[in-house]
Amino acid sequence: MEQAVEGEYRAFMTGNEAVAWAALAAGAHYMFGYPITPQNEIMHLWRRLGSQYERGFLQTEDELAAGFATIGAVVSGKVAFSATAGPGSVLFQEPLSMAEMMRLPVVVVVQQRGGPSTATVIYSQQELTLTCFGGNGEGLRLVYSTASHQELYDYTIKAFHNAWRYRFPTFVLGDGYQAKMREALVLYDPGERGIGPVPAKPIFHSQRRGAEKPLLHLRNSFSVEEELGEVLERHLDDYARAVPALVEHEFFGEPDGALLVVAHGVVGRAARQAVQELRREGRRVNYFRPITLRPFPEQALREALQLSGGSVLVAESAEGQLGNLVRLAASAEGLPDFRSYYRPGVGITAEEIKEAVLNERAVDAALLE
Amino acid sequence: MRSWKIIVSGEGGQGVQALAETLGRAAFQSGLNALYIPNFGIEQRGGVSLAFVQLSSGPIGAPKFRRADLVVALSPRSLRRSEQYFAPGTVLLYDSSLIEAPEISDQVVGQQSYETIAPESFAERTGYRERQDEAEIGSRRVIAIPASDLARQRLHPRVFNMIILGAVVSITGAVTLEQVKAALEEKLSHRFAHDPRLREHNHAALELGAAAVQVPLQI
Repeated sequence: MEQAVEGEYRAFMTGNEAVAWAALAAGAHYMFGYPITPQNEIMHLWRRLGSQYERGFLQTEDELAAGFATIGAVVSGKVAFSATAGPGSVLFQEPLSMAEMMRLPVVVVVQQRGGPSTATVIYSQQELTLTCFGGNGEGLRLVYSTASHQELYDYTIKAFHNAWRYRFPTFVLGDGYQAKMREALVLYDPGERGIGPVPAKPIFHSQRRGAEKPLLHLRNSFSVEEELGEVLERHLDDYARAVPALVEHEFFGEPDGALLVVAHGVVGRAARQAVQELRREGRRVNYFRPITLRPFPEQALREALQLSGGSVLVAESAEGQLGNLVRLAASAEGLPDFRSYYRPGVGITAEEIKEAVLNERAVDAALLE
Repeated sequence: MRSWKIIVSGEGGQGVQALAETLGRAAFQSGLNALYIPNFGIEQRGGVSLAFVQLSSGPIGAPKFRRADLVVALSPRSLRRSEQYFAPGTVLLYDSSLIEAPEISDQVVGQQSYETIAPESFAERTGYRERQDEAEIGSRRVIAIPASDLARQRLHPRVFNMIILGAVVSITGAVTLEQVKAALEEKLSHRFAHDPRLREHNHAALELGAAAVQVPLQI
């Protein structure tokens, strides 16, 4: 298989293009997908470049088939992925639940659009809960929420590696803005940065006569509840053990903080900009962005809250999907002084976050003390 | 360099997105940070087309913004749509041949434009009659260039957006005309190879637009 990215170079491209290049650079073999805005250009570019670099593509009849085809490729040891959005993500939950049950390293890129249902083709952050907990299970998944094209590239590569290393379905959660906007990033050959090939090998072996491989029984259904209970317990233990190595976040601030602004994904950019400006104006505001939404960086969030006077403001383009995760993580040390700026289905600018912070008059007074 | 937040708005088919992307690409190639995002929806034609462009020597935050440093409006409807981005100090650049048309009647310009530049815009005739007075626009720094007329009379209607882009280069000083030409080359080299006159027209349009902004600006 030909290496798609050699050396490293800056490029000005869309987020969808960055994802396709990252999958090529990571050495993914196959993409299976069904068109939906705003992820289509991932498929388009993969299809166009894939044949050039000996990679496979199949447009299936719907998202369920795309998910199950990805599972099929993965069990045969191929690095495979798909991309979807909105109502497509909903359909994906069926094969993804199976991947979760069977611990299959399926990678899916989700470019969130407005919901529920068809809603808008444009943008939202309303697929957080669906992506983290969409199956009929415990949400044993890895979910990376990116905030720049560089992160889309870096975390798409990382998603393949960690999916195969930890054997949990893994997601890169972007959105319509990230999908369609153009900005600079550095494309690189992961190998030249010491990132080896994705540790993929066949999960189902063909049993050769005389070979001493243990028989593998990947199960998706169980006869008695205790049997399932044991398996789930094992999976939950594996997940809990992996958490410390998996959680990632971004924080900046000072120990004198009077308020912590929390946002994820592209809204994190607005929050970071707002907090930087507020800090320059002498206001004691800190900033926290979870990069992994599942597992959630709970410990890091609690530490950030301690540096911020126990006050938090969550900004998101959804009605509390991130807010609930923040509340849950923070509640271990008493309920925080909680505020929110929720704009479901609508983009959030730095100006708005700044106003949301300053409109809290009581907070504002404390921020300037 | 100071940073720039720019709204480019016009009718679908006027080349708004191509203009915005070319500007972003030129800034990227010159080593600046650039972010360009189209306001996209399900409509392919006939709506107002809006683009957000940010140019900065520092990091760029959210892809969209509320207050623009420069609003470029290329049709009456798109000017109304862009009003929400005005703040004190926002510079407005607009196409006077499409928005104000002081010398010819509305209908005549409408007809001419219908045949050439923006067919979709004049499907909605009513918008055309609601011309806006400069004083109503929330900006005291208003720059008008008759880009549509210039394109039609001196070059080719298709390069209308490059006249506007030339003016944006003069106003912002963020990139040079040469950098814009290089960005065009990267994007359109195959088409330029097919028809070298296309390159000439684009370059001439950029220079025409840059020269059309005559008043030296203190921004």
